[in-house]
Amino acid sequence: MLCFIFIVESPAEFFADNKNIAGFDNPGKCLYTTVRELVENALDSAEAIAELPVIEITIEEIGRNKFNSMIGLANHERVDEALYDDFETDKAREKRLAKEARFQETQAKNAALGKKVKAPTAFKPTKSREASYYRVTCKDNGRGMPHDDIPNMFGRVLSGTKYGLKQTRGKFGLGAKMALIWSKMSTGLPIEIFSSMKGHTFSSFCRLDIDIHRNIPHIHVHEKRENHERWHGAEIQIVIEGNWTTYRSKILHYMRQMAVITPYAQFLFKFLSESPEYLLFLCLNPIKNMSVRFARRTDIMPPAPLETKYHPSAVDLLLIKRLIAETSKQNLLQFLQHEFVNVGKSHAERLIGEMGPDFSPKMAVKSLTSQQIVRIHQLFRQAKFDDPSGDCLSPAGEYNLRLGIIKELHPDMVATYSGSAQVFEGHPFIVEAGLSLGGKDVKQGLNVFRFANRIPLLFEQGADVVTRTAVKRINWSNYKINQAQDKIGVFVSIVSTKIPFKGTGKEYIGDDISEIASAVKTAIQQCCIQLKSKIVKRIQAREQQERKRSLNKYIPNATSAIYEILKEMSSSHALKRRRYEGKDAELLKQVSTQIVTEGTLREKLAQHVEQVDYEMALEYATQAGVNEEPREDIFIPPLEAEYECTELFSPIFVFRLVA
Amino acid sequence: MADKKKRRRAASSSDSESDPLHFKSKLKPDSSILQTLTALKSASASSSSSRPASLSSLNLPTAFREVSDLPLSSVQSTIESLALSLAHSILAGHGFSFSVPSRASANQLYVPELDRIVLKDKSSSRPFASVASVRKTTITARILQLIHQLSLKNIHVTKRDLFYTDVKLFQDQSQSDSILDDVSCILGCTRSSLNVVASEKGVVVGRLIFSDNGDMIDCTKMGMGGKAIPPNIDRVADMQSDALFILLVEKDAAYMRLAEDRFYNRFPCIIVTAKGQPDVATRLFLRKMKNELKLPVLALVDSDPYGLKILSVYGCGSKNMSYDSANLTTPDIKWLGVRPSDLDKYKIPEQCRLPMTETDIKTGKDLLEEDFVKKNPGWVEELNLMVKSKQKAEIQALSSFGFQYLTEVYLPLKLQQKDWL
Repeated sequence: MLCFIFIVESPAEFFADNKNIAGFDNPGKCLYTTVRELVENALDSAEAIAELPVIEITIEEIGRNKFNSMIGLANHERVDEALYDDFETDKAREKRLAKEARFQETQAKNAALGKKVKAPTAFKPTKSREASYYRVTCKDNGRGMPHDDIPNMFGRVLSGTKYGLKQTRGKFGLGAKMALIWSKMSTGLPIEIFSSMKGHTFSSFCRLDIDIHRNIPHIHVHEKRENHERWHGAEIQIVIEGNWTTYRSKILHYMRQMAVITPYAQFLFKFLSESPEYLLFLCLNPIKNMSVRFARRTDIMPPAPLETKYHPSAVDLLLIKRLIAETSKQNLLQFLQHEFVNVGKSHAERLIGEMGPDFSPKMAVKSLTSQQIVRIHQLFRQAKFDDPSGDCLSPAGEYNLRLGIIKELHPDMVATYSGSAQVFEGHPFIVEAGLSLGGKDVKQGLNVFRFANRIPLLFEQGADVVTRTAVKRINWSNYKINQAQDKIGVFVSIVSTKIPFKGTGKEYIGDDISEIASAVKTAIQQCCIQLKSKIVKRIQAREQQERKRSLNKYIPNATSAIYEILKEMSSSHALKRRRYEGKDAELLKQVSTQIVTEGTLREKLAQHVEQVDYEMALEYATQAGVNEEPREDIFIPPLEAEYECTELFSPIFVFRLVA
Repeated sequence: MADKKKRRRAASSSDSESDPLHFKSKLKPDSSILQTLTALKSASASSSSSRPASLSSLNLPTAFREVSDLPLSSVQSTIESLALSLAHSILAGHGFSFSVPSRASANQLYVPELDRIVLKDKSSSRPFASVASVRKTTITARILQLIHQLSLKNIHVTKRDLFYTDVKLFQDQSQSDSILDDVSCILGCTRSSLNVVASEKGVVVGRLIFSDNGDMIDCTKMGMGGKAIPPNIDRVADMQSDALFILLVEKDAAYMRLAEDRFYNRFPCIIVTAKGQPDVATRLFLRKMKNELKLPVLALVDSDPYGLKILSVYGCGSKNMSYDSANLTTPDIKWLGVRPSDLDKYKIPEQCRLPMTETDIKTGKDLLEEDFVKKNPGWVEELNLMVKSKQKAEIQALSSFGFQYLTEVYLPLKLQQKDWL
């Protein structure tokens, strides 16, 4: 029965029914996920042509009246008020009025007593279940899309994953399609796409929605327009139901963290409120317009990740079958040699020999029986292969991570570390970490920023391997960092051909993978070690300033204790109960005749402290060198010159030949 | 009624079942057990008659620091000469500093010949004009002054009293307590000679008569709770006893059972407990009893690493007070029970045994490295068994055979079999 449903259900329908898997749980999160999908698509598109990304994202609030007019629905005045959920019954009104009266009374009383009058707090209007709508627009300077492919790129959900293996940004490979399904479900309004490719004289415009049931695009308009300014890129406009008030901070966090991990991109984020400016003053709880610019800080882009083949230890039975079905190679030897990494010709021959008498190098790969495939799978599990290399990965890079952190957080100190490639279940991964202390808009304590394949992870932080490691396995006090007081920023970026996400929404990386956990720990510790010496120096400098004060604080206590003993002694000395000789006797005499008092001791000790302080300060100065002048950060922006260039890609760099 | 009878019968039958190996039947009459105990006593009296070697007589290559009981007047004069030298130093413009013997574990050594931990002679300087030590130096000066007052007035105070004289400076009792130990190291006297005592913790009951500040105390007539061990050992004198051994108990609960059952009347003994980790007063008292009465000491502790640790503190001293180990330790304590091997020997049911935690096992393994455990092969074997089985049990686990099993079966049988290590 279940099987039957899956056959009938189109992939689009499947995702429409299970939209929570792709991060479309509720209107608020839908808005967030739509933004992130659009932004990530835009970044991919720009990086694909090695263009420094410039991305503008705008969220525009659409009121009910406007929305109704957009979908061609006449506004209806309420006739029967009591029918609605937000209708205020007589009883509720009485209650509210009484409360307001009481509040005014206390206000008046406070005012009469001369107390500071609190600004009248807004009475929240009774919660309405009415949906709010937003137009999300994302414009980039990327590759654009071929005119004829646009409808299928948006209007058709493909369930099969891509052939080959590559580090990708998206989690599901659905991108804007899921947002389109959501817009179809919540507003029914179509998506609008402008696109133009580099060198094309025209731009494409397309307005379409999706036929969820048949999983095909439903095209409203699809035409070519003139492209005078030779713009290339894509602009996607979509109207969805959302919730800005609850997900505002999440979206802003996302943008900020994205700016940290992609400092070579420029983001312009805008939110436009529905209520016109003059209404803002009247409105009690206005949602303000906002515009945030995340400037570009570097023009060094990480190379595009390369597509690679599967590692024999990373495949399962189904995957082997799919590879066999899709391969262009004829016989088994070629199949093993060309469809997997780290399998050379002689290695493949030895493997085939080990498989048993049923196998031969020349046998047709498509004729393998299920049992034979199981045998291959078993051997893949048991045999030893070299680890896959990390060349196919594209980490953010220590340099970029550092710049990103400095640019967005302005920390007092920062350290970064980039680990070497390691392997988990046949997939290579690289862990990079950054550690910052201080900075603006940073909470006290640990602030964990997680990145997987260069996108920020914001949800389900508690169970994540990075959070757990930072909270439990790092002994911060070893590095003179106060876990509760200091503003600590922990940044960990993990890239891999397959990130082992956990949870339905793929929102975190599990803590149970020891390879990743230990790599994360090492990376953070390396950053800590870098910072430690700086912190120690800073503590010394502070101690330097406070030494005299903290020593002087104890002088009265110490001298009074010693003086009390002397006084007791001098009185017993005077009574001749005890005899002292020489300078001791002299001292006691001075005490009894008030020549030496507690004040004398105090003065002498203070002098000594002064002297020691001076000596230590001198010593510190000779060690630390001349005090450095406070330096000012200077950023040199790149020249905005247009070059005609030919680009050569390699896993580690992009080579541009300027014509 | 019939119902009740049946239940009682069921209870009595289960009583006999709860003694699975019929250990009780193995017990010989008390008179024969007493004979073995008498033999133990005379053996211990003859062995302890040879005076244990002192540290100086051993001629060890390193120097050691040991303190001794000093009369109040000499404490006073030591403090006074120290104060004078401090004042001279301040007036000469050199500030002042204390030379404090280090009590860190690197400065401690277990001497097998003496069977106790002693303090080596490393010491560190504690100058006033250093941010790291200014606080401790000031507290040290203040404590010295307070002790000086005590010595002038010849009174005793508790550590808590001392702390409350200057809460603002001391901040926390643990700080004034640890400086107090430093001060006794500096002055070279025991903590009790500073006239600072801890509050009463240990109790004693059984065949012991002694005078406390002149009052004669008969510990058989102190009721169930027994007599609190005086915090100030100088008050204790004139010990007399007809006991055959001293029974050292770790826990208050087991002590209560023994006291209530008047165990010391069946087998003449003195029962002592410090309710957990022993304080200085209890350790001093035990040592005094052992030295004056020449009695063997048998210990009844939990079968876990901490039980053994407590045993070791009585036996060879704690690291914290190693400077005074000569006065605080009682050598030659026998481990009577509950030992890890007893768990199986006495068929202690599974539900009364507890699995050892990670830290328990680590403590156990650390103990195996300690010299005072190594010198006794029997102890090593027992501890190995504990670490291997990863099971621990408290003395109370014996109560699963009935509350009085401890006094009526377990201990008599152990004594009869001379089952101590």
